[in-house]
Amino acid sequence: MIPRIEYYRFGTLNEALRFLRNNPDSKIIAGGTDLIIQLRSKKVEARKILDISRVSELRYVREESEYVKIGALTTIEELKNSGVIKVYAQPLWRAVNNFAVWQVRNTATIGGNICNASPAADTVPPLIVLEAKLKLQNIERVREVKVEEFFKGPGETIIEKDEILTEVVIPKKDSSWRYSFIKLGKRHSHILSIVSVAAGLKIDDNKIEDIIIALGSVAPTPVRAKSVEEYLRKRQATSKLIEEASGEVVKDIKPISDVRASAEYRIEMSKVLVRRALNECLKAYSHGIKSG
Amino acid sequence: MSSITFLETQKDEYSILEEWLKAREFIYVGSEVKRIDALEKVLGKAKYVEDFLVDGLAYARIVKSNIPHGVLVSVKPGRAVEHPDYIALVTSSDIPGMNQVGYYIPDQPALAEKKVRFHGEPIALIVASRPRSTEELRELVEVEIKPLEAVFDPLEALKDEVLVHEEHGSNIVLKTRVRKGDALKALQESDYVIENTYRTGYQEHAYLETEGALAIPIDGGMTIILPGQYPHLAQSIISRVLGVPQSKIRVIQPVIGGGFGGKDDMMPIVGAQAAIAAYKVRRPVLLTYTREDSFTSHCKRDPAYIRYRSGASKDGKLTVVDVDIVFDAGAYANRGPFTLWRATVHSTGPYEVPNVDARGILVYTNKVYQGSFRGFGNPQIQFAAERQMDELAEKIGLDPLEFRLKNILRPGSRTSTDQLLEDSVGVGEALARVAEKCNWFEKRKNYGKIVDGKAKGIGLACAWHGISTSRGVPDWCNAYINVAKDGSVTVFTGIVEIGQGTHTGLAQIAAEALGIPLEKINLVGGLTDAPDTGATHGSRGLSLGGTAILIAATKIKKRVQRVASRILECSPEEVELRNGWVYNRSRPEKRITWEEAVKRCYAEGEDMAATGYFYMPKGRFDEDKGRGFAYIVFSYMVVAVEVEVDVETGLTKIIRVWPAICAGRIINPKLAITQIHGAIIQGIGYTLMEEVKLEDGRILNPNFTDYLIPTIADLPEIEEPIFVEDYFRFGPFGAKGLAEMALIPIPAAITNAIKHAVGVKPSEIPYTSEKLFKELSKRWQG
Repeated sequence: MIPRIEYYRFGTLNEALRFLRNNPDSKIIAGGTDLIIQLRSKKVEARKILDISRVSELRYVREESEYVKIGALTTIEELKNSGVIKVYAQPLWRAVNNFAVWQVRNTATIGGNICNASPAADTVPPLIVLEAKLKLQNIERVREVKVEEFFKGPGETIIEKDEILTEVVIPKKDSSWRYSFIKLGKRHSHILSIVSVAAGLKIDDNKIEDIIIALGSVAPTPVRAKSVEEYLRKRQATSKLIEEASGEVVKDIKPISDVRASAEYRIEMSKVLVRRALNECLKAYSHGIKSG
Repeated sequence: MSSITFLETQKDEYSILEEWLKAREFIYVGSEVKRIDALEKVLGKAKYVEDFLVDGLAYARIVKSNIPHGVLVSVKPGRAVEHPDYIALVTSSDIPGMNQVGYYIPDQPALAEKKVRFHGEPIALIVASRPRSTEELRELVEVEIKPLEAVFDPLEALKDEVLVHEEHGSNIVLKTRVRKGDALKALQESDYVIENTYRTGYQEHAYLETEGALAIPIDGGMTIILPGQYPHLAQSIISRVLGVPQSKIRVIQPVIGGGFGGKDDMMPIVGAQAAIAAYKVRRPVLLTYTREDSFTSHCKRDPAYIRYRSGASKDGKLTVVDVDIVFDAGAYANRGPFTLWRATVHSTGPYEVPNVDARGILVYTNKVYQGSFRGFGNPQIQFAAERQMDELAEKIGLDPLEFRLKNILRPGSRTSTDQLLEDSVGVGEALARVAEKCNWFEKRKNYGKIVDGKAKGIGLACAWHGISTSRGVPDWCNAYINVAKDGSVTVFTGIVEIGQGTHTGLAQIAAEALGIPLEKINLVGGLTDAPDTGATHGSRGLSLGGTAILIAATKIKKRVQRVASRILECSPEEVELRNGWVYNRSRPEKRITWEEAVKRCYAEGEDMAATGYFYMPKGRFDEDKGRGFAYIVFSYMVVAVEVEVDVETGLTKIIRVWPAICAGRIINPKLAITQIHGAIIQGIGYTLMEEVKLEDGRILNPNFTDYLIPTIADLPEIEEPIFVEDYFRFGPFGAKGLAEMALIPIPAAITNAIKHAVGVKPSEIPYTSEKLFKELSKRWQG
């Protein structure tokens, strides 16, 4: 059951921020696809709820010369239907294409998916790989943080009690990057990840110039696979090397066993998925497919 | 051995059925008429139990045990009484009649009394004036339970160190046995013998609509609206609990959001709980289970532990099946005695086996109890039997199809219980036709190789399933037909429309028998006002329900023929009823309308109402010898399944399924296909992903986030079914049961295909991707 709570709703960011400053114990609700369930199961307790779903100024996908900017209240379905996301944020676009069900996508927002801070949040590994930043705003100021620095643990982030995540900023990268996103679940769709992997690769003349890999569901927060990255950086890309490098991922992850999968299975699947994700990026090169 | 007893009093009924079995031309039978309930569902007008709003309605929820085994010390409303919406807390002490809802063995209370035996067991009901408050109120109820040591593993429970029911003296509910020939000797003398152990898990019905019942006190009795599968069973159980005669209990079936057997077991219980609450608060009460309540507290498919030994001779003939079956009953016996008996009889699969020894044990544990679920004990054992057939074929060096064809049941074969099958055995033909259609031999040759990390495989499995009740357990059906003066027809049946389309099929049967347009039939079903027709379960709704309607309609038809013959100047036998016309067969221009004929019947003293009681002929099963009559007839199913396994992740994709069914006459092919599709999908879930995770008897995944059922992306192409119409003489126009069939062979067919693809030996379902991955890792390391 959902305990009795006070409910507040505002139509502008300013009003919402002012309310939050005076009521720092409020829980913020946008799409509600996570929060309502958590309230019901008492994973989260709240006395006051601040509904920001009508703050329409935070609902957009904007292409600028060097950035793609996503308003935090943009729904997953809107991202799925966005040509800008498809071109400039390909791994994110692939993640939202295999994200829950249509009804949930219509309601769930990207800001909510990030702030809920689930280790299994499918939008996060792609955002890490895209080197996205998050704009956190309170009544006085705005600050920007890297996505990968935002999470502290399951359900925990560095966001202050008076702050709202307002925007996701994705830098446009040069066109030599190739990206991939792969997710493994216990069935073929509508499923929480056992492991998810996003990868970005920048190759020049078959040499790996730069690389970023991030995984979901294999640690208390989404994580970078820095060991794999280091193993591969500045080296010639061969399938043998990628096979070896994928094994390094075990140094970067700390999976647990739960009702979805055992830790051992998650470890083995992380290796497989990292290799597949990197091979997909390489394949995109050989086929001349551009990511952005 | 196993002869059938016919009743002298049913001679007319036998001859009516025999006559119709000879019919060759039909208007409605075999046609894909539109479902009679389609429009109201599409328009959103169909009324489910929660759509019946009555004045003064109160709302109830169950209060559950959060301990798997313990002494119930006290149940008090606590701070709930201070809540403005609080009406009452209802406990076992409020039950006016017997606190007993056990199905076969009286071991189950409507509300726990003295003891709790599983985590999630209903202890009390909280009643509130607003639905929302029920959730808040039930958390305020103070329940004191003194925990007892609990037992969860059925093999552990066999030791009787912890007793789930002390008064029973043992955790063994009962044992079953089927014997034929000399199994021990055959095991020693067979050229090949193999032994394997198989395990299957719980399966949750996962119906769209959870349990709910609306009880309305009326005139010293009770009217209960509940989406069940057998209104008359609910009536008798509610009558027992309230201590009120059955005639004072009226059960009405609303539109139902899925049953699959679960609501057969649950709705008499939930109906009784609602009735107890309504009795106490003296106003209508709507009791609904939340999704989580449904997961934690309603029966599931019985988990099974099967040790299976079977043997064959060098020339590929089965010589022996020797099997131990342990069914985990959970906290209450419920349908376990019957699911286990079914599993025991069906343990050979649909094959001729000269020597059989099958032993079953049903054992109590402190977990949620088992119950009816599409297949009713049979999917578990067919999984073992049909996996074993593939293993044995491999041992002999035979193709699995050829091995099966050498042993398959045919007319004239004797079953595991030594029952002679005279006719209606189409499974051999079904097997051959499926193999041809799926291109069996070529795929067996070409698949089973890893290409780009993926391997394809093809497997097949058969199943048989006894129709109607087993042994001498009485089974009957009935219907009441009333023709109004204007010629419109009301058909009353106890058979329930649970989404399978049976009412449409039953209306087709009535229209066919009376020779009138389908639109003239008003089918009223699933309420206690209709005659007791038995349950809508065991694939019997259209078959037995249809038999009764066919008999009742034919009685009326004969009366119309008698009256019309005088007008049409011919003998009654020459009067044809077709398309709303009543005419002289040799001079068709001599005709009157159906309406005119009905009017004349009313005027000339013919009864325009009739019942269609039919008692299914039964034989005798000798429990001591473990031999004899088991079922009046069997339906059969064959499926071939093609899979693709991702060898790096263990994720299995079902590519294609080729079904064939022997269910006698197909009354409506479209309805048959939808049942086959639904059963295959449910079978895929059961085989690959559906898993109830338990920790100390508590279900860890009582939700659809982590209890996974297949989505559209997990589904294969399903080929047009092959219908082998092996007519059954006591079915309407020869129809047997169908709805459960396609699920039963799916677990073995899928796992046989996985074995073909990657060489593992699946012995446990759900065979999840993680389990398959672990097997593959072991093989590659070893």
